[in-house]
Amino acid sequence: MTQSHKGARRAATLVALAATLMAGTANAQDVTLTFWGSYGNGGNSAQQDALNEILIPAFEAEHPGISVDYVDVPYDALLQKLTTSAAGGELPDLIRADLGWVPQFADLGVLVSLSELMDDFQMYADKTYPGSLSTNLHEGEYYGLPLDTNTRVLVTSQAALDAAGMSEPPATFEELKAMADALGDTDMAVFADSGLGSWNVFPWIWSGGGAVTDPDLTVATGYLDSDESVAAIQMLVDLYQAGQIPNLIIGNQGATSTSDGLPTGRYANILDGPWMKAIWAGQYPDFEPIYAPVPAGEGGSVSVVGGQNIVLTSSSEHKDAALEFIRFTQTEMFQLEMAKSGNMTVIPAYADAQNDNDPYFAMFSDQLKTARSRLAIPQASQVDAIISGALTPAFQGDVSVKDALSDAAAQIDQLLARN
Amino acid sequence: MNRATASRTVPYGMSKAAARPNRARLMSGLTPYLFIAPGFLLFTLAILYPLVQAFQVSFYDWKIIAGAVSDFVGLENYQRALADPRFWHSLVNSGVYMLFTVPPQIALGLMVAMLLVKKGPAQPLFRVLFYLPVVTSWVVVSLLFKYLFADEGLINYTLGDFLHLSDGETSWLSSRWTAMVAICALGIWKGIGWSMMIFLAALQGVPRDLEEAAILDGANRWQRFLSVTLPAIWAAVIFVAVMLVIGGFNVFTSVLVMTGGGPGGATEVVLTYMYKQAFEYLDFGYGSAIAVLLTVLVFVLSVLQLKFFGNRDGGEK
Repeated sequence: MTQSHKGARRAATLVALAATLMAGTANAQDVTLTFWGSYGNGGNSAQQDALNEILIPAFEAEHPGISVDYVDVPYDALLQKLTTSAAGGELPDLIRADLGWVPQFADLGVLVSLSELMDDFQMYADKTYPGSLSTNLHEGEYYGLPLDTNTRVLVTSQAALDAAGMSEPPATFEELKAMADALGDTDMAVFADSGLGSWNVFPWIWSGGGAVTDPDLTVATGYLDSDESVAAIQMLVDLYQAGQIPNLIIGNQGATSTSDGLPTGRYANILDGPWMKAIWAGQYPDFEPIYAPVPAGEGGSVSVVGGQNIVLTSSSEHKDAALEFIRFTQTEMFQLEMAKSGNMTVIPAYADAQNDNDPYFAMFSDQLKTARSRLAIPQASQVDAIISGALTPAFQGDVSVKDALSDAAAQIDQLLARN
Repeated sequence: MNRATASRTVPYGMSKAAARPNRARLMSGLTPYLFIAPGFLLFTLAILYPLVQAFQVSFYDWKIIAGAVSDFVGLENYQRALADPRFWHSLVNSGVYMLFTVPPQIALGLMVAMLLVKKGPAQPLFRVLFYLPVVTSWVVVSLLFKYLFADEGLINYTLGDFLHLSDGETSWLSSRWTAMVAICALGIWKGIGWSMMIFLAALQGVPRDLEEAAILDGANRWQRFLSVTLPAIWAAVIFVAVMLVIGGFNVFTSVLVMTGGGPGGATEVVLTYMYKQAFEYLDFGYGSAIAVLLTVLVFVLSVLQLKFFGNRDGGEK
């Protein structure tokens, strides 16, 4: 669609809207929905193009009188833009929101409870992955529907397997430790990650059979510092102190990144998401990543759910039209079109079709079956700061893992008590 | 010009002699305010109003949403800050940054200014080169320093492979004090040009006759610097010191870009901590309380500096 074409149509919509308002009728027919997201982040125009050139025109054709104006905001700027817009009362109708933001903004009162507003909410909710859906829950109500999803899996390289004399990627904690021993004094570290937040350490805690809180999100003490949780983190700390995990994990901003370290043979394994394929294809065209499930411990192979939800703001003046667009995002057409450019479907029924289109996604969809979501509480970003703040001295050997996790659990208890 | 305008607008029938002095005095009294007005208006809108607003917000559990009613919590946010070990940790980091960046910026800035005050063919070029970092974006130079101090960056290469002063494997940004070295180095490098510029201006005002008299009296360079130059530019030294102390406590962009306050909050400074409270955790009441505490601290420090150093010879100028 050309810019002038779109501009002319928008002008026509405005004129129509003004005319309707002047006529004094309550139900304006022509509405323009504003939709903010960060599909174009990282210069990936494929997703934005799919939305603007295929999906939105298809929706508008199906729903005469409703047009959708998608505004792309860089991911790093989106949270601040949402915050200032909320303060100024200028939020759009719809937002593609990071999982962690939904409880935060629901708590502020700027989002509409979809489970309350949509008669058919349950029907849509039932179709999605439970791990993705649960990130929309706040105080017993759902404030959004999953839009796209992803998770982290183990990524390794043939060079790493060769260096360790292995034929398969490490499938268990024990095999990972054995791989570390085999790599011994080589320049290759067995594992690297870029932080100690929830996204980084929860897969190890869950796979090790530990937990973060009780199922009702009321207390972390007794869960985050349970024997299983401690053992899982202790394994990472032991590897760190043996030089098998670089200090990138405690936040050394000067260390080689995971996306560079794996293809260049510095790191043997990393955990990462489905977006890496495109990044490596551009930067390391000769690199052939090998994907495998997160190594299993006593709790099995459990990863962490990532992705985005679609939410409706309470300031929206076109809620019915916006709900129509939300329903449209849950259709096979929308989900599969977005999957083509790397946004995995949130609906398991479409996973086969998605994986037929691109077998690459199969490993990620399998991992998603058991993946869990991070704490769906308004203070999720504080949880990240607490956990990484407590664990950093444990990695540096200044406190025991047990003490660090007990300390973090006590701080998280205070946050949970506020909800 | 005011006078001329005034005389032209005197109405007929009125004695020019009587009207002129009053109008003229009124106009010339108003003139400075008219010149100040646009700047003051901007200052009021962009600084004073947010300042007052932040002070108000600091007494509330602030809801950022337009029209939402916030709960008044009195001094709770302040009590929380004073009992918050992470706040104190960040304050210590800001203080350390201030202590280790302000004296070098003054000393090196003055030294460069002394070298560049004499006319020479390359003098304009050097002035520009030293001033260039000042006008460069903080984000750009912070990224630059982040790469310089990376594990495989130029600093490690120079220290290790080139000068053989270390093993070249220092993880500068991975622990508190080594990261602070990198952050302070950036602050000093970027700040020298600014203090140089102020000192260069001040050095133009050093009385030549005093200088010559001192030479005749047989004073050497160092004695002339201490007894003639320094007293003459003392007001500028105070100005630079006060501004740099304020700036030192306001360190923000370099920390956010180079370490993000990490690892594990080790290099958090007051403003990055405040920023996180407000814009990541949406706890604007607490963030504002931290901002007010910092403002009070900086204000008190500035007053103390002016009180202790401001009178020394400064009055002569």
